[in-house]
Amino acid sequence: MTAVEPRVRVEGITHRFGELTALDDVVLDIAPGELLTLLGPSGCGKTTLLRIIAGFERPSEGRVLIDGDDVTSLPANKRPTNLVFQRPTLFPHLDVFGNVAFGLSVARVDKAEQRRRVAEALALVRLEGYEKRRSHELSGGQMQRVALARALVNRPAVLLLDEPLSALDLKIRLEMEVELRRVHRETGATFVYVTHDQREAMALSDRLVVMNDGHVEQVDTPTEVYRCPSSVFAAQFVGDANVLPVEVLEADSGGSSLLALGEHRMRVACPPTAAGPAWLVLRPEAVRVAGSNANGLPDALTGRVRDVAFRGTGFTYRIELPALGLHVKAETHVASVPHEVDEPVAVEWDGDACWLLERAASETEPPPPPIAAEADLEIAPEPGR
Amino acid sequence: MSATRRSPVTGAVTLLGVVFLWAPLLLVVLFSLHSTGSLTFPFQGFSLRWYEEIFSSPQVRLAAQNSLIVATSSALITLLLGTLAAYGLARSSSRLRGPLALLFFLPITLPGLFIGIALLVAFSRVQVTLSLVTVTVAHLVYVFPFFFLIARSALERLDPALEEAASDLGANRWTVFRRVTIPQVWPILVGAACLAFALSFDEFVITFFVIGPDSTLPLFIWSSLRRTVDPSINAISSLLLLFTLILFMVTFALATWGERRRRGRGLAEDPLALTPVPVAKGAA
Repeated sequence: MTAVEPRVRVEGITHRFGELTALDDVVLDIAPGELLTLLGPSGCGKTTLLRIIAGFERPSEGRVLIDGDDVTSLPANKRPTNLVFQRPTLFPHLDVFGNVAFGLSVARVDKAEQRRRVAEALALVRLEGYEKRRSHELSGGQMQRVALARALVNRPAVLLLDEPLSALDLKIRLEMEVELRRVHRETGATFVYVTHDQREAMALSDRLVVMNDGHVEQVDTPTEVYRCPSSVFAAQFVGDANVLPVEVLEADSGGSSLLALGEHRMRVACPPTAAGPAWLVLRPEAVRVAGSNANGLPDALTGRVRDVAFRGTGFTYRIELPALGLHVKAETHVASVPHEVDEPVAVEWDGDACWLLERAASETEPPPPPIAAEADLEIAPEPGR
Repeated sequence: MSATRRSPVTGAVTLLGVVFLWAPLLLVVLFSLHSTGSLTFPFQGFSLRWYEEIFSSPQVRLAAQNSLIVATSSALITLLLGTLAAYGLARSSSRLRGPLALLFFLPITLPGLFIGIALLVAFSRVQVTLSLVTVTVAHLVYVFPFFFLIARSALERLDPALEEAASDLGANRWTVFRRVTIPQVWPILVGAACLAFALSFDEFVITFFVIGPDSTLPLFIWSSLRRTVDPSINAISSLLLLFTLILFMVTFALATWGERRRRGRGLAEDPLALTPVPVAKGAA
């Protein structure tokens, strides 16, 4: 993969809005044909980065290269990129055909070719025969499909998608995810997708770019980011995680370390970490919950259920471990015996389902988990109405 | 304060108000159809003789023609300049945006008398001969703010993301303006131009100061009234009223239609957007 010239290369992009640094020296290569997601909470700079690639913002520093050409100073209309916006932005005075053909007609592609390519693009998003519809006759999902066709019909070098599903209902969103994956497979185009929804990001992407506060935290496949997060932020933002303060007592080069969690000692299989303070990252589904009378479990790992929620696929518990002064989140399978609030239970986990991260000795509490999006702070203001 | 039940007094006052507003208008229309020259009751029967009279009068025709020329040119020039000014300001991110917009529409508060005198003084200072041209310029000063207010709020209510989408699809600024911005707002802009036309067509005070030897319809009515009270004046006034009403209706219909087309469905409330729009952040 490294031998292939990147479709998009982001070279040391820094972007400031007045005093605020929205992006801080971001470096990124996007390979041809991949579906790359910029994932992060509101205000992390992901939309700004997308708008810089699209040509709507000029970065304060750094360069953007597309297929090796420096496009940093080119405006949006001269770049081989097309953007699908968060809100449907279909031209209300044009029908579906007029919308999809817009880019072709601006580029003066001849009429017969326009018709052929529009039909092809509409077939791709499964809206054959919708040419004469107006945008107000379409559902939200259909509007975004038209927007997708309108962008893809121009055969962009990179298709940029700015939270295109966030305005849709959950059900339609799930359907559209399937559609997006199919369209990506069928076109083989390069997609750069922005979202604050980690579930969506994991479901869609070939690679994730986890962003936080203007910088890149981690770039990797969704499974790698989930299994081996590079930071507490990545661990907490991508999937749910217990982040517990531990001491590494013995770091073994064989990949197994002896840890102290309070008074409790355990052995975990993780890549070698230096002895000293560390964070233990434990996914809730790796935590097993047993009735208190289960034999052989150490006292440190017994506690009480403080909260339980039924999730359809299973139960989510919040369990207090008084001996450790901690709460642990656990997810169990739907077929497991349910536990009730205040019920005494014990928890256990496999030593190879854990992950260790560096911790400063002064830190004893993990930072509060980031909130994906309270409101969509990054989007342009609604037209005054 | 919480009187939800209407008292008979409220009803009576409302009725009185309506009568007070409309009775004089109706009287003018009624007597324009009078068969005799009398302007008082008893009413002696209907006839169209006063209308025939004014249509055959060369002075009325000339005045009407002048009014048409002035109103058409001020409406067209306002349409062009006002659209550009409103678009420029609506899309500008300059700090002067608020103050500039204020400068453009504040003349709406100037008394006609003031505009008239000020322009007369200005014209005589630079030694411009008073003519229909000076009247047109004066009317521009008068109607521009009305047009500007409507145009600006229509343009500001457009979703800027639509223009971004167009430029993302390869359109340059002019193409965006021509193919995305204007198609969404032209009915409102043309409607506002009709309003400008109507305002100019029956403008009297300012015209009075800056007109030369020519005459417009309102001036003709006024000068005829000085000589004699002639029922044909009622006919001209009635026609003026009808014409203006039609123009206002066209304005309203275009604005409603345009807004509906833009938003897709539902009836547009306040299609002319006359509810005040905040000038700009921090401008007040």
